[in-house]
Amino acid sequence: MVDPADFPILSRTVHGNQPLVYLDNAATTQKPAVVIDAMDAYYRHSNANVHRAVHALAGEATDAYEACRATLRTWFNAERVVLTSGTTEAINLVAHGWGRAVLNEGDAIVLTEMEHHSDIVPWQMLAKERGIEVRYVPVLPDMTLDMEAYEASLEGAKLVCVVHTSNVLGVRNPVERIIERAHAVGARVLLDAAQGAPHTRIDVTALGADFLAVSAHKMLGPTGIGCLTITQAAFDEMQPFMGGGDMIEHVSLEGSTYQSNEHKFEAGTPRIAEAVGWKVAMDYLAEVDLEAEHERLLGIARWTAEQLRSLGCTVYGRHGDHDSAVVSFLHPGLHAEDFAHLLDAAGFAVRTGHHCAQPLLHRLGIDSTVRASFYLYNTMAEAEAFIERVTHVLARFGGNA
Amino acid sequence: MVAEALAEVLEEFEAIEDRTQRFELLFDLADDVTELPTDEWSEGNRVKGCQSQAHIDVCIKDGLVHLRGGADARIVQGLMGLLSLGMNGQTVDVARQVTLDIVEATGLLNSLTPSRSNGFRTMYDMVMSTMGEA
Repeated sequence: MVDPADFPILSRTVHGNQPLVYLDNAATTQKPAVVIDAMDAYYRHSNANVHRAVHALAGEATDAYEACRATLRTWFNAERVVLTSGTTEAINLVAHGWGRAVLNEGDAIVLTEMEHHSDIVPWQMLAKERGIEVRYVPVLPDMTLDMEAYEASLEGAKLVCVVHTSNVLGVRNPVERIIERAHAVGARVLLDAAQGAPHTRIDVTALGADFLAVSAHKMLGPTGIGCLTITQAAFDEMQPFMGGGDMIEHVSLEGSTYQSNEHKFEAGTPRIAEAVGWKVAMDYLAEVDLEAEHERLLGIARWTAEQLRSLGCTVYGRHGDHDSAVVSFLHPGLHAEDFAHLLDAAGFAVRTGHHCAQPLLHRLGIDSTVRASFYLYNTMAEAEAFIERVTHVLARFGGNA
Repeated sequence: MVAEALAEVLEEFEAIEDRTQRFELLFDLADDVTELPTDEWSEGNRVKGCQSQAHIDVCIKDGLVHLRGGADARIVQGLMGLLSLGMNGQTVDVARQVTLDIVEATGLLNSLTPSRSNGFRTMYDMVMSTMGEA
């Protein structure tokens, strides 16, 4: 595991003197001091706009910004990397930049019931505008995708959008097979890897993912930045989404021509300090044995799930070898909202609600869960303290439903 | 002057230091809500902007406020209990003395998510607007 002392925020207390136990990592992760310091140093020493001026600071800022892209290109083994505000903007970029250029009335796209709202709503908006058919792959009672239904849905499909790892269940989908079958019918594939990328190295070229959307803040980086990796073939099919500075080659009053590289999709002044921070976060992650960490965190999640079950909770998820360390649960005697407030009162930060995945929760027959999600700095001792608090809360308040 | 029962319970909150105990008191207040049976839950009495299911109904009879409600989360129903203590069975004039500040007085406000705060605000506005029409 990484040293929790690398993360300044983890040493604080909340609600007076309660030590913080941060278990809301699927929402956002904490930042190591090296990331915070790098962003601070950028603003103190190198701040300038990128890709324009010839002065020294502009050169340093441009180099730093492009170094982030280069790091991501290597990390994901990607042909093209467009920096966005996060996963949501990356998916919207596919909808507007690729979807509007390629999809026409009567075309079909395939989504799943497991998607985050950010991988549903942009497609519903586009479908309404363009008369596109949206097909949804159901989630089975064992909380996996109905792969038979998936294969049946592919006929005539132009695009498949699927979440790599569910933010609610932690379930990692069989993306290799999903991509292989989609490509067999000529459909492109967009993977929402907001939850998958922080836990495992993803090689988009080996995987064959046409698009991969990622958020920095879920993998130790700053908020406000993420990326979309794109294969060259898919990149060539895209048209610009937002118009503005930096994305053009030449502008006249009669019309404009655009850049031919990733800048074509990065109109306006980009997130420079955030790119600086993300690069440092990726360098920090590169020092971590993610495979070993995955196993360690999954062990903690499995133990936590088992304890919760023994306390009468229903756990949603399965914690298979490739799933992530997310534990979503409910207790019949205590509403999820009440549960989360009572955990917070003792310093345990968890998430509650529908997790921006209402269709999935609807399929599971519930409207919210309590979710504990573990990351690199979490320890088994924290999980034990968490279970101790859950036991206490249930003993005192568990008969309230 | 707010209703005595409400003033007393707000003093109780102030005296408690432990956050879990404050929640316990708020949970207890859920029992002070006159139940609105679930078969009377409708879109019209739903508290919008609340993350959980919550419904509140208020009517004025013989110059007195009658408040009924129900919520699936104990905390939300506890907040309804606070409103009830200040309003139920009171004259409209006394009930109108209840302000949004009562949530802050529980010392739990910081833990209420924006949706939850909005939910309380909606609840409060629903009650106040009915009293305004009385």
